[in-house]
Amino acid sequence: PVHRLDGPTGGLVLVAKTRAALRLASAAFAAREVRKRYRAVVWGRLAAGGVVDIPLDGKPASTGYSPLRWHPMEPSGGRDAGVGTGERGAGSLEGNRWTGTRGAAPGSALAVTVLDLAPVTGRTHQLRRHLALMGHPIVGDPKYTSGYAAQRALALGDPAAEEGWRAGGGQTVAPGAIAGATPHLPTGLHLWSVGLGLRHPITSEPLTLQLDEPPEADAAPAPKGKAKPAGKKQKETKLGMRATKDGDFSEWYSQVVIESEMISHYDVSGCYILRPWAYAIWDEIKNWFDAEIKKLGVQNAYFPLFITEEALTTEKDHVEGFAAEVAWVTKSGSSDLDRPLAIRPTSETVMYPFYRDWIRSHRDLPLRLNQWTNVVRWEFKHPTPFIRSREFLWQEGHTAFATRGEADAEVHTILDLYAAIYQDLLAVPVVRGVKSSKEKFAGALYTTTVEAFIPHTGRGIQGGTSHCLGQNFSKMFNIEFETEDGTRAHAWQNSWGFTTRSIGVMIMTHGDDRGVVIPPRVCAVQVVLIPIPSTKLGEEARAAMAARAAEIEAALKTAGLRVRVDDRDNYTPGWKYNYWELRGVPLRLELGPKDMEAGVAMLARRDTGAKESVAWADVAARVPQLLDTIQSDMLAKAKATLDTCIEQVTTWEGFMAALERKHAVLAPWCDEESVEEDVKRRSAGKDGENKDAREATMGAKTLCIPLEQPELPEGTMCFASGKPAKNWALWGRSY
Amino acid sequence: MVIRPYGYALWERLQSWLDAALKEHGVQNAYFPQLIPMSFFEREAEHVEGFAPELAIVTRGGGKELEEPLALRPTSETIINSMFAKWVQSHRDLPMRLNQWANVHRWEMRTRPFVRTLEFLWQEGHTAHATPEEARAEAMAMLEVYREFAVTQAAMPVIAGRKSRIEQFAGANATFTIEAMMRDGRALQAGTTHDLGDNFSRAFGTQFSDAGGRLRHAHQASFGMSTRMVGGVVMSHGDDTGLRLPPRMAPLQVVLVPVAARGAAAAAVLAAVDAALVALRATGVRAQADVGTEKSPGWKFSHWEMKGVPLRIEIGPRDVASGTCAIARRDRPGKEGKEFGVPLAPELLVQEVLKRLDEVQAELLERATRFRDEHILDVSSHSQFLEVIEQGKWARGWWAGSDEQEVALKEESGATLRCFPLEQPGGGGTCFLTGKPADQVALFAKAY
Repeated sequence: PVHRLDGPTGGLVLVAKTRAALRLASAAFAAREVRKRYRAVVWGRLAAGGVVDIPLDGKPASTGYSPLRWHPMEPSGGRDAGVGTGERGAGSLEGNRWTGTRGAAPGSALAVTVLDLAPVTGRTHQLRRHLALMGHPIVGDPKYTSGYAAQRALALGDPAAEEGWRAGGGQTVAPGAIAGATPHLPTGLHLWSVGLGLRHPITSEPLTLQLDEPPEADAAPAPKGKAKPAGKKQKETKLGMRATKDGDFSEWYSQVVIESEMISHYDVSGCYILRPWAYAIWDEIKNWFDAEIKKLGVQNAYFPLFITEEALTTEKDHVEGFAAEVAWVTKSGSSDLDRPLAIRPTSETVMYPFYRDWIRSHRDLPLRLNQWTNVVRWEFKHPTPFIRSREFLWQEGHTAFATRGEADAEVHTILDLYAAIYQDLLAVPVVRGVKSSKEKFAGALYTTTVEAFIPHTGRGIQGGTSHCLGQNFSKMFNIEFETEDGTRAHAWQNSWGFTTRSIGVMIMTHGDDRGVVIPPRVCAVQVVLIPIPSTKLGEEARAAMAARAAEIEAALKTAGLRVRVDDRDNYTPGWKYNYWELRGVPLRLELGPKDMEAGVAMLARRDTGAKESVAWADVAARVPQLLDTIQSDMLAKAKATLDTCIEQVTTWEGFMAALERKHAVLAPWCDEESVEEDVKRRSAGKDGENKDAREATMGAKTLCIPLEQPELPEGTMCFASGKPAKNWALWGRSY
Repeated sequence: MVIRPYGYALWERLQSWLDAALKEHGVQNAYFPQLIPMSFFEREAEHVEGFAPELAIVTRGGGKELEEPLALRPTSETIINSMFAKWVQSHRDLPMRLNQWANVHRWEMRTRPFVRTLEFLWQEGHTAHATPEEARAEAMAMLEVYREFAVTQAAMPVIAGRKSRIEQFAGANATFTIEAMMRDGRALQAGTTHDLGDNFSRAFGTQFSDAGGRLRHAHQASFGMSTRMVGGVVMSHGDDTGLRLPPRMAPLQVVLVPVAARGAAAAAVLAAVDAALVALRATGVRAQADVGTEKSPGWKFSHWEMKGVPLRIEIGPRDVASGTCAIARRDRPGKEGKEFGVPLAPELLVQEVLKRLDEVQAELLERATRFRDEHILDVSSHSQFLEVIEQGKWARGWWAGSDEQEVALKEESGATLRCFPLEQPGGGGTCFLTGKPADQVALFAKAY
């Protein structure tokens, strides 16, 4: 590269192909023989152009600017909103160094202006600093927005801004506050290098290099009634999302959970806030599963969060499995506790001492309890929202039976319910199976699991587990009862848990480049109704449209659906489409002027984008049908993908090749723990330099031994050890 | 404290009623982490002073010392405000109404099941508004929701009022409460709502731009009701025989017990019990049949009386023959509450049961109201006040005392100022302690 752009700045960069060209072109830059043009979106309305020549770092600096267009904004501009509004009229900094004219925009409290910039000098962060000094900081510039802008406001003596600034403690606004304050603009610095004018370093012929305007520069909603240029629609839909699912999956996931307002990050690493949009899904899962287990006779209860050290260490295998990730309360107020208390990572050891007291006779059995709680596991592995967090929500069921047969039956009943949550509610296909002895729950007799698979990362993910604990815990905790014939026996126990991780699996499975896609059964809003009042419409026609929207809303609510009408008047319909697509609402109902004439409404599916026109009278019947179709289509699509991601092989070479293709592998196995360890070691790549590389080449393990087994002909050998195979195991890299 | 299924079922009754009421009001559920950095508490000076001594603090996790100690939430104003500061940007974001159902910890020295426990379950609502008036209105509206729940569901005739400065929530401008009277005459604070003003929004920088583009601090309210309410139900209605649950709260509203059936008659009795059970459940009555043979009917009667089931239906061979049954009401002990000859035909039986459930609900409230009114006495002098408190009753009197005098009175009598009831007699009077003119009446009582 001949020159450089600041880190967050995007756009055109000149790259030389030969050393000679590099040298000559660099010289041209140094001699300021190159004309540079930038495009920026800044806060406030600027009506006329000019030049800023405020010295920076003690050196002369000069920037020319001319406004191209401006957009009124919804005033959610945040704490600095009052600063860049351009309402204060013309003003000048000491010495009248800049000559900009403030265009007052009465009635429009907040606006952004798209500027063409022509810097003459090239001081560090010159454009960003100059614009901030003018009181028009660049959108998405955390570094120079707050301090300068606030100071600028003070310099101009705006009493309101001054009051706000002082009330905030007289401090500069936290970095990122402005970026976060503009949900309707893409994040990141709104500054792009768009043009270079120079002479060809060898031939000396004049060169003008130019980029089209970046799509983001136009992401602000256009003034009402003005139609969007046709070609731009696609780009505009990127609202909020910058990464693509296929391009950078992990970045895509991080963005999509934030932008869809499901998660907020928090000051404690590995802990996340579940915002209402995500919690509503958990509520749906909870309501469904809670009702199902109550039908089985399971009752809810609540056991304390704290576990004493003695209780935690009662079952040896169990404590080994969890000891490394326990968080300890060591103080109350300012005094140290005599004995630290563990925060439950799971509640076997809290509950079972009570089970010992409550279970005396066979008549006290079965005892089937469940609780909905938070648990804390202080892990140091890379945290991922929903998928791996230090605190998560779950249900944990703990049951005790007189016989193994009853315990076995319940393990599978619960596993089926877990599979149903995934498949019927979340539209995520799962494989039911039994964990290998290496992978089973610490202290269990055996563990059953539902396993999902994330094609983009090629990793399996444990979706929920139902354990038969056998008599391991009842022996440790002395849970004994008198049988019908008067002898004493230990109870057979199960435990089973399902967590908020499932929401993450759902997002990873269905999301796309526009945002999350939520299956109708769990989405807080199943249908969003967007009236499209054109400016040409008269009062009466608008009122008729609003009334029609309300009627349709009522009809859909009567049909038992979760409906929202988005009649906010400060956003364009297009912006609303993006907003609800980002959030994954399954069905959008549009009601435009032409629809009003024809007596129809347009239905648009989030999962496929398919549209259809429906007569008003048929909406209440058609929408539930369509939601059912969406629900089953989403599952079918995910199932088809999963099927292509599971390869059945019989040889080591086939196994490695499948892993290489980011697939899960069904392979005949001798079911020996040492072989599983060996496979894990042999299938791991060399240590990658970064996390992503390490994860991509981590060793494979058994995800489960599927309950549905392909035929295993006599004499089939284990793909890894060459010993006689005992079953087909599903292998893969995993979360 | 372990909350066993029967207790938890009462909590679930409360949850489902309240959750629906809050959603109706536009409140959305969310979940905030349990572990809160100590530094968060220090931002609001009064808040940290109030809660610091009760915090349970995590200093070790995953085998390592934490960089910053984390407290288990005692309440979530601080963490929720750290997020409101990010989420609330424009007046269009307001009002913002969130709620979470969560466990909280307060390190208490003297504990009592349900009423004062180291860990308890609750809902905590947190809202942000554009104006002080809206925040105040929110606190009042939620107080009314709590009052309605207590009166209509739990049959607890609570008194709604405002807390004194001494008793209000650490960090609030004003705290409102519903105060319930337990059977021993003690007061139980059964739910509180707080007008937080802009105290937390200033501490956390929660600001929004108003319609004119000016920055404003949000005004907030918070409100919580906890498993303490379950204790309130127990202590409001229970008697020497056990619990007496109001039908709308009772996990089990009707228990059916077959009586003295042997041989051939047994099958007929069980069939009748079963038919009645099916009919009751079909109408949404929470009913169960206790048909085991190892316990006598008498044992079963006491068992279910102890559990406070509002109605018991007894069916014997003679009842089956005459197409009738007996219904016993838990709230009226002995023969007085038992009625024979109630028709057994399903549709008639259901009507009889529904009618009685309503009666029990209403009478429990009536009885508790009468008890409450008999135990609140007006006082007009210091000595009268001490006498009333000594009798284990509540004292109501004109009050114009200072904070110091309020504290001194508590030390002297053991009674605290429970609230200034919202319903005031009007006009003015003379403070029973200081003799100064007073413009409001206060309620004092010993409390849990």
